[in-house]
Amino acid sequence: MTTPFLEIRGIRKEYGPVVAVHDVNLEVDRGELITFLGPSGSGKSTTLYILAGFEEPTRGDILLDGETLLATPSHRRNIGMVFQRYTLFPHLSVGENIAFPLRVRRWSKADIDARVRRMLELVRLNGYEDRKPAMMSGGQQQRVALARALAYDPPILLMDEPLSALDKKLREEIQHEIRRIHHETEVTILYVTHDQDEALRLSDRIAVFSQGCIDQVGTGPQLYAEPATRFVAEFIGDSDFLSCDLVGSNGTTADIRLGDDLVVSGVPLHGRPGERARGALLLRPERMDLSRQAGPDKTGLPVQISDITFLGSNIHVAAATGWGETVSVRLPFGHQSISGLSRGDTVWLRFDPGAAHVFT
Amino acid sequence: MLLDFHRLGWWRWVLLAIVIAVSAFLLLPIIFIATLSFGSSQWLIFPPPSWTTRWYGELFADPRWLAAAFNSLKIGLIVTVLSVLIGLAASFSLVRGKFRGRETLKALFLTPMILPVVVLAVALYAFFLRLGINGTVTGFVIAHLLVALPFSILALTNALEGFDKSVEDAAVLCGAHPLEAKLRVTLPAIAPGLFSAAIFSFLTSWDEVVLAIFMASPTLQTLPVRIWSTLRQDLTPVIASASTVLVAVTIILMLLVALVRKGMKS
Repeated sequence: MTTPFLEIRGIRKEYGPVVAVHDVNLEVDRGELITFLGPSGSGKSTTLYILAGFEEPTRGDILLDGETLLATPSHRRNIGMVFQRYTLFPHLSVGENIAFPLRVRRWSKADIDARVRRMLELVRLNGYEDRKPAMMSGGQQQRVALARALAYDPPILLMDEPLSALDKKLREEIQHEIRRIHHETEVTILYVTHDQDEALRLSDRIAVFSQGCIDQVGTGPQLYAEPATRFVAEFIGDSDFLSCDLVGSNGTTADIRLGDDLVVSGVPLHGRPGERARGALLLRPERMDLSRQAGPDKTGLPVQISDITFLGSNIHVAAATGWGETVSVRLPFGHQSISGLSRGDTVWLRFDPGAAHVFT
Repeated sequence: MLLDFHRLGWWRWVLLAIVIAVSAFLLLPIIFIATLSFGSSQWLIFPPPSWTTRWYGELFADPRWLAAAFNSLKIGLIVTVLSVLIGLAASFSLVRGKFRGRETLKALFLTPMILPVVVLAVALYAFFLRLGINGTVTGFVIAHLLVALPFSILALTNALEGFDKSVEDAAVLCGAHPLEAKLRVTLPAIAPGLFSAAIFSFLTSWDEVVLAIFMASPTLQTLPVRIWSTLRQDLTPVIASASTVLVAVTIILMLLVALVRKGMKS
């Protein structure tokens, strides 16, 4: 077995009685862009700060090329970082900011000048080297911060919600830049965000954080199609949940009962199958269909339409089950099953059991 | 705005009169003493019968006055350096430290500001008698440092609280040793605060008289002490010119602080 490039092994962080990070394990490949996605307080930023060396873990280890990083103080770790807040040195110009890590490393003046010019080119800010940070926009400042963090060719770049202070349009523009810079430099990036769109747009892989643990690691499509926990299912993409009873299980799939009499077999099961346990059935809005008749082959659940919303290419249909839960179904515009339907009609909700998930 | 100056009607003339009266109350003694210092009358007659710079000539020719001014300058500068260094260390721990009683300690550091100076002077006098440092530069410096430190700590904690620690963290991750990061990034960023701390520390010592009278000896006097003791012996316009010099230095330094603050805002 080869040694992983970066390995986070059993990291735990306690602040007095508060456990910020429970037990985080992760392997990162060289050149990967991996996001830590999770709500605030899920431990993703703390994990990043432990990597940077600003926090010491209560337990666990971090290995870079098989050697522990924890013994090295922050300023010797040779890690780049872009922070959530603007951290350019206010008294230095843009060029001097980018040159700072190189001056600290005692580079020659000619090398520094050449590198500063190349970094400004990389972030497309040529001609800005004499500006003071206070004279630049937030987006520009974060690009300079990115240039400064990459100037010394660090093997790892940490990014702690660097775009959260920017507006949506600018954010998407810089996300695009980050993708491009990642391809050009092949640096390994660990990127913290609470924004699932950002995570999906940027990452090779996503680590979903919840309550101090990583619930699941995978590509966006993997997390969407095969969520390991209910939390991941809720956090990635839109989701509908219906409560159900587990009536049988073989360990990997389950037979569930919806309402009083509809039994669906072969639904992928996550969690422990208990005797007569309650579960939550995950359905994706675009993976459901509505029909006027209860089909003989597929499953069909009678629901009453409570609202129909036209949203351009999509139509959202909200419907209520017999026991009062609501589902939201997304159908493409012009879909035949929707024509002629109106509020109050009863239709049959159909879905492929193999594409659904049940969580206990 | 409801209280816009131009919409106040005749009230604004009342306000203007109050402003002029308060300004006059504050400024007239200074203008008065400065005027007298250039007056030709030996008996400080006001208004002066004619103008002269004779008293300044006498002031700068008298080695006792020069020695007092030099002492004030020396003590002031030592106090300034120590006050900024100690204040900086205290402020870092007050702002960055995570320990119990931090707020209490912060309040404690500011007590010399509200404690009656004469109480402090008597206590220090008794204490310094035992140490045998009354009438020495060391005694002066310690006494003035006590009253200067609160100003320094106040200016520097404010400056540090307004400085985002992430900026220093960024410098550390760039490869700078934590100490180097503080010297090359944090200190330049809080330079206006350092400047304020230095000027206020110097001024606190420069025009302090109560502690100085207790600390002074016949051979070691500061400018305010010299003014005070001369005044008790005889009335001469040289006192007026010495006072004017004292005030002029103060005003120039205060203007410098104002200029630096204005420069930071623009």
